[in-house]
Formats: sequence, C-alpha cells, structure tokens
Amino acid sequence: MRYELFIALRHIKARKRQTILSIAAIGIAVMILMVSQSFMAGFTQELYDKTVDNLPHVVVSPQEGEEYIHLYKNIVNKINNIDGVIASSPYLTGEASFKFRDNTKNAVIKGIIPQQEDAVAHTEKDIIKGDYNGLTYSERSIIVGDKFAEDMELEIGDNVEVSFPNANPVSLKVIAIYDTGTPLDESLTYVSLSTAQDFYDTEDVINGISLRIDDFNRDREIAQIIEDNGYNAAGWTENNPEILRTIAIETVSNNVTLGFILLIASFGVVSTLNMVVMGKVKEIGILLAMGATKSNIRFIFLVESGILGLAGAVFGTAAGVALALSIGSYPLPEDIYGLEAIPVLVRVKDVMAIITIVFLLNLIAGIYPAQRAAGLDPVEAISTR
Amino acid sequence: MNGAYMPESQRSTHPIVQLQDVSRIYTLGKNRIYALKGVSIAIKEGDFVTIMGSSGSGKSTLLNMIGCLDLPTSGRVKVNNVDLSKLDDDGLTAIRRNNIGFIFQQFNLIPTLTAIENVEIPMIFNGESPRKRRKKALMMLKKADLPLEYARHKPNEMSGGQQQRVAIARALANRPPILLADEPTGNLDTKTGHNIMKLLEELNSSGTTVIVVTHDPELENYSHTTIRIQDGEIIG
Repeated sequence: MRYELFIALRHIKARKRQTILSIAAIGIAVMILMVSQSFMAGFTQELYDKTVDNLPHVVVSPQEGEEYIHLYKNIVNKINNIDGVIASSPYLTGEASFKFRDNTKNAVIKGIIPQQEDAVAHTEKDIIKGDYNGLTYSERSIIVGDKFAEDMELEIGDNVEVSFPNANPVSLKVIAIYDTGTPLDESLTYVSLSTAQDFYDTEDVINGISLRIDDFNRDREIAQIIEDNGYNAAGWTENNPEILRTIAIETVSNNVTLGFILLIASFGVVSTLNMVVMGKVKEIGILLAMGATKSNIRFIFLVESGILGLAGAVFGTAAGVALALSIGSYPLPEDIYGLEAIPVLVRVKDVMAIITIVFLLNLIAGIYPAQRAAGLDPVEAISTR
Repeated sequence: MNGAYMPESQRSTHPIVQLQDVSRIYTLGKNRIYALKGVSIAIKEGDFVTIMGSSGSGKSTLLNMIGCLDLPTSGRVKVNNVDLSKLDDDGLTAIRRNNIGFIFQQFNLIPTLTAIENVEIPMIFNGESPRKRRKKALMMLKKADLPLEYARHKPNEMSGGQQQRVAIARALANRPPILLADEPTGNLDTKTGHNIMKLLEELNSSGTTVIVVTHDPELENYSHTTIRIQDGEIIG
C-alpha cells in the first residue's frame, strides 16, 4: 500500500464524525442525482416508448411534383439493404369520409401491409378488440381507433360507408379497434394496401414508406442516405421536432439542477479538507521534516479527497438506486396519470458515469487544500501548537 | 560578524556541518529582525555539540538551518559537504531524509499512528520495503530502549519518556549521520531526561554526530563541545 494512501486512510479513520458527515454530504447529493437521473431516464424512455417507438423513424415520400411512388417494391428492397434499416412498410394514405347510421366523420385512411406496418410502428400491440391480422386475409375490412369508434358508435362487425371525391365508395367491416392514447385514435384508420388502392382507384402504387431503424438517433443520417439515392426522406426528428424539443428542454433543465447539486457537494469536500489541513498543519511539518516531499503531502490530501468522493459516490449511488426503484414500484392510478407507476430507469452506464464524475470532481475539489498543505513552511508548521 | 567557531573535537577533523557568515532575517511589517547574524561554525563528524542560549536567542533557527528546514537570508550552509543554497525543495528533502534525524521537545509524533508506524515513516520515504522497514523499526525501538509491548501503542497511550524514545527511534530510522535534538528533555522529568541524554551519548559513541539545542546548562555535561548563542550571534 502506498504511504500516502496509508496516511490518508489514517486521517479519515481518526476523525470518524467528520468523515461520516463528509461522506453523507456527498452521498446525499449523489443520491438525489441518481434518483433524478433515473427519473429523467425513465420519463425519457416512456416518452420515446409512447411516441418515437410508435412512429416511423424515417419516412420516404414521393419525389417532388409526384403524387405517388411507382415500382415501390424495388425501392423497398433497396432501402431494406441500407445498414441500420430493420423494417419497412409501404403505405397509401389519404383522406376519406365515413358514415355509419346517422354519424359521419372525416378521417385518414391508411392502406398498409399489416405485418410490415407492425414491424415498423408496433401497431398490433395497441389493438384492444378484434384481430389485427384480419386485414391480411379479409378484403373490405377496416381497423379504427377507440375514439373514432366511440364518436361513430361503431362496434366490431359493423359496416361503415367510406367515400371521397374521385374515390370508389366502399363499405368496410370493422374488424379491430386500437387504442394508442394519442389523438390518432380518432383520426386514423387502417385498411389493407390493396383496399386503399381500390378505394383511390390507383395502380399498384404507394405514397409513402415508413422505416424502422436499429438506432433512432441515426434517423437523419439514414434519411440522408436515402435522399442521396434520389428519393425524398425525412427522419422523425425532422417530422416531429416538438418531441425532440421536449426531451432536450427536460434534459438541459435536469442537467443544470444536477450540476448545481454536484457543485454544492464538491464545495462541501473543499471545506472539509480545508479544515483537515488546518488541523494537520503540525503533522504536515513533521512529515516534511521526516523526508516527505511537497508532492508526497499534496498526494496525501488528494488521495483523501478521492477516498471521500468515492465513498460518497458509492453510498449515494446505492441509496439512490434503492430509492428510485422503491419509488418506481409504487403504483399510480393509471386512469388519472396514464401510467402504472412513476417511470424509473436505472442504467449501468448512468451509475458508472455518476460514480466516475463525482470521484473526479472530488479529486479536483481536493486540489486547493492539497496545494495549501504542500505549500506550508515546515518550520512554521512544526512550531504550530 | 563573528569569526569561525571551531569546536574542540578530537574525534574527526572532517566538518560534517559548516555555516559561513550565515544570517537569517525575518521581516515583520517594516521591521527586519535578525534571528541569526553572521554565524560561522563548523561541526566535526562524530562530535556531540550543545547549542546553548536563552529563549529567542536564535538557537532553534540555527538548528533549522542545519536541519535543512530553513535557508539563510545570506551566507552559506553545507551539510556533508553539500552546499544547501544550490538545492531546490526536493534536493533539500533528500539531504534531510538521508543525513538528518530530528528529535523535538514536544516529541512531535503523529497521533494517528502507532509507535512502530511512526518509526517507519522516514524509511517509507526512503523507499524501504514494508517487511524490511518493520524489522528495522523494531530494532530501532529496541535500541531506543522502548519496551516492545508499546510498539503498537499510539502516542497518547504512552508516557513522555516513552514518546521521546519513539521519537529517537524515528530519528534513527534511516541511520542518519547527524542527530538534531531541540530541547529533547524539555518535557521530561529529571530522571527520564537523564536517561534520554545517556541514550544520545551512546548513539554518539557509536559514531553519530549529535547536536542538541537547549537552555538547560545540565545538558552541557553530556557534550564534548558547547556553542553559546545570544541575540543571533555566537558568543563562545
């Protein structure tokens, strides 16, 4: 064991109460930091799950001046070969007027290949009634949102009349109802791609391709690759900037708060170590007389600061993880909050980052008292009473 | 300015400590205070010297100069033929570590360490291995006449005499050729003080140069040479 570590440990052991208070001060700050970080990660994840996860990460649209994408199967094959693309879903979408008994409503109709749409936007998991895959084998069928069904007083098995100028009117049977908890539930309906093409009286064309990619942060990069191949494409961050803005605002405000907490904890260490230096002046003088160099002395106090920081970080992180998980397991009334529990996400990388940052901050905080100790005059230090 | 004072020692003609025209001035506001004024002395290897003087005479400043803890405002200090003025902080530390053992009036042991750990400190700075230094520390404690059951006691669990023995063992740890003692009996009763001085006498007879700073005339009896200092000047 290096001498500096030995002396630093003895200092820490000798002033138990002060040590406990210092570690507790750092630990509490780190605990708040950990809980806050877990909440932020949980809320962000929840936001992604509720929004980005259900959105196409990249959307390919017709070229400028074109209404449709022709020969789309070749394009889909090409896009599927781009590194990072894990699923694609061609679709034909447009507006339509719906009538059931005396109820009428305008909404969007989206013609899809159900399995491919599910692979991109996880549509099947939102089905609350009926059979999602019915679209594949049952022509003239439709899936509607629960709000849409409520407004139109539709039930599974009912036939809704669909029409639109220049379209072929058709009667579609409701085979499933979905619930995403978003405004889409009253404005978007699904039919099979061929049903949509029949309705809009088009050839085998589409007007968009939705893509799912392995890392949704690469949306702009992959959209650019597709654009470089001559198609129009936009990532989810471009199509839904408000989601990104919400997350960014939350992250910035949270990080500022966390930074202040860390700063306070670090000042605690500086003041504690300064007090230690003041109390150890004579001892520093003795060590210098016994052959310690100034760098030995500096190192003792840096090691001490590092140990306090590491202990505070480890205890604080452990307490923070425990607290975050226990808060996260507390059930919430879902009908009020739309959540079963407060979303909490404890990530190993966050734990490691917090421990490392707190440790490093404490080392930095230790520099001033360590310099002060190393700069003491040995004669004056020894004669201190 | 005083002329060079040469102690009468028959043991060696080689001066292990030399001060040439050394002055140490402290500035206090607008006042310049002479702690040492033109001091020139030469202490021979193997000598036992007492530096006598009243409180504030400059004897501790002189000891700090010899111990490489302080540097002169003017003049030259040589320890073991090394001119201290040519050394930086680390150089001074190395000279101190390898040549000088300190014994203080207040013992100045580190309260959080045990007796044996206190003795090990200078050896650690000298890069000794843990096993070797533990063995040597026990030897030094034995040499300083400390009952070995106290080796694992902390300073506050020992008497003044025992603490001073630990301090002597610590000063001897790196087998320095020079032992500097600042009022080594100042905090001890007469009998214990006598025992400590006998111990220093024994160490001197085995070749260590011993320099004791004191205002106690009794201690003169143990030394071969006495240097008297008054108002920062050598007077005899």
